[in-house]
Amino acid sequence: MKLPAKAPEPNSENTPFFDGARQGRLVLPRCGDCGFVIWFPRQICPECSSQDVSWFEASGKGSIYSCTVTRRIPGGWGKVTPFVLAYVELEEGPRVMTNIVDCDPEHVSIGDRVEAVFEEATNRDGESGPPLLRFRVREG
Amino acid sequence: MASHGIKDQVAIIGMGCTPFGEHWDKGADDMLIDAAHEAYASAGVKQDDIDAFWLGTMGSGVSGLTLSKPLQIDYKPVSRLENMCATGSEAFRNACYAVASGAYDVVMAIGVEKLKDSGYSGLTGSKPPSDGTDSSLTAPATFSLLAPAYAHKNGLDDETMKEVLTRIAWKNHKNGALNPRAQFRKEVAKETIAGSPLVAGPLGIFDCSGVSDGSAAAVIVRAEDAHRYTDKPLYVKALSFSSGPATGALDPSYDYTTFREVRASAEEAYKQAGIDDPRSQIAMAEVHDCFTPTELVLMEDLGFAEEGTAWKEALNGAFDLDGDLPVNPDGGLKSFGHPIGASGLRMLFECWLQLRGEAPPERQIESDKTLGLTHNLGGQPGACVSFVSVVGSELG
Ligand SMILES: [Zn+2]
Repeated sequence: MKLPAKAPEPNSENTPFFDGARQGRLVLPRCGDCGFVIWFPRQICPECSSQDVSWFEASGKGSIYSCTVTRRIPGGWGKVTPFVLAYVELEEGPRVMTNIVDCDPEHVSIGDRVEAVFEEATNRDGESGPPLLRFRVREG
Repeated sequence: MASHGIKDQVAIIGMGCTPFGEHWDKGADDMLIDAAHEAYASAGVKQDDIDAFWLGTMGSGVSGLTLSKPLQIDYKPVSRLENMCATGSEAFRNACYAVASGAYDVVMAIGVEKLKDSGYSGLTGSKPPSDGTDSSLTAPATFSLLAPAYAHKNGLDDETMKEVLTRIAWKNHKNGALNPRAQFRKEVAKETIAGSPLVAGPLGIFDCSGVSDGSAAAVIVRAEDAHRYTDKPLYVKALSFSSGPATGALDPSYDYTTFREVRASAEEAYKQAGIDDPRSQIAMAEVHDCFTPTELVLMEDLGFAEEGTAWKEALNGAFDLDGDLPVNPDGGLKSFGHPIGASGLRMLFECWLQLRGEAPPERQIESDKTLGLTHNLGGQPGACVSFVSVVGSELG
C-alpha cells in the first residue's frame, strides 16, 4: 500500500536532488574541497563548511544499517502498518533515514542490500509533487 | 570559564506528587493544585511563603499564568519552562539556582502534564531530519533501534535480547505494584510481557512507558535554612544538563548503543557531587526508562555497569529493588507513568521518600548509603537532552 507521506517541498538548495528524483535518479551533493558526500542535500559541506558543492549521480545502492517495523502509529500511517523504517547506508557513504517498500516487513533484516526507488507523492492540496526517495531490497 | 555546581548550597524541604494515570475527571489545573498543596503541607509552609515559582510543562499550557491562575498566586514571579521530556528536571534545576544565587529564600519547582483527553493517546511523532521527506518516525521506533545495535555490539542473539528487555519491564512493573501512586500497579508475568503485541521493532506494548496525567512539586530553600523546616532535608549535590549537536542520525560514527549526552551529563554530575564510583556510592537511582532498551543502555552510560555487561547485570537482578543498586524502585516511567512535565520531579519525589526512610515499607530500600540519583532524558538516540541530579540526606 502507498505510504501516506506528503510530497516534499524543494528549495533552492536542493533543486538538483529533486530534479534527479523526478527522473528516477539519485543525485547527491559532493564537497569539492574535502570530497565528503553530503546528506541531506544542501549547498554547504557539513564537514568543512566549503560551499564548493557539485552534484553527481550516485549508484542508488546500499545496505540496511538498522531497521524497525512499526506496528502501532496514529493518523494516516496507522492504515499502512506494518511498515519498515530504516537507516540505509549508501555505497557512497551517507546514512539515510527512509522506508523500505515493496517488501514483506517480516523478512527485512539488517545488512540486506537495497536499491533506491522513487515513489510519487501528493502535497496538501492533493497535487503531485516531487517523488520521494525510498528503497527496496535487491537481489544479488 | 567553568561549571562549578552548587553542592550542598540548597535543599528540598517538602514535596508533593499526585497519583499518575488516566485522570479523566481532572485537568492540569486540578493536578497543579493537588501537587502544590501537598508540597506546602510537606514543607510546613503556606503559599504566601513561596517567593518564586518555576513551572515545567511541555504542552499543558504556556506562560506563568498556567500556574498562577489555578493557584491564585498573588503577583509573584512564575517562570514556565520546557525542555522536552526533561522539562520537570529543568524546572527544578533553575529553581535551585535562583535560591543558590541569593535572589529568593523559598521557591517552588512544579511540573505537570495532561496527556489524556488530547485527541489521541501519546505524544506526537518525533521529527526526522529535514531531508525533504516524512519518514514517520515514532518514539517507540526510534528507541527500538537501540536494541539490535546493543545486541550486535555485545554478541547477544535476538532471544537473549528479548529476555533482557522483558526482565527490565518485569522489574519495573513489580516495583510499580508496590506504589499506590503509580499508573500501573500490577505485576506482569514475563510470558505476558514477551508475548505482548509488537509496537515497533522488538518492542511490545509492555516495553513502553505509560501515557499519563500527573503533577509533582518541590519546595527548595538555602541549605543553612533547611532545618528550620524539617529534620530531614534533601541536599542538592549535583545538577547537570547536556544538550547535544543532534547529529546522530546523520553521523555514521554514531552506533545507537549509547547516549553521548547522558555520558556528558553524568560525568559533570559526578564531578560536582564528588562521586568516583556511582555503582558503589549511590543508594538508588531513578532513570528515564521511556522504553526498556533505554534503561539497559543507561546503565552503562551512567556508569552503573561496565561496558557490555548491563544486560547480564539486569538479568542477574543487580538493579532490582533488593539488588546491588536499585533502579526505578517506584516503577519508573514504565509503571509510574510519564506525564512529561512532571516526570523529573516525580523521580526526585522517590529519592525524597527513600532517602528519608518514608517509602512504603514494602519498597523501602535498606541502605547505609545516603545518595540518590535522577536521570531524565528528552529527545531520541542521537539527538537528545539529558539531565542528571544527585541528592543526599547528609551534608558533605
Ligand atoms: Zn567539505
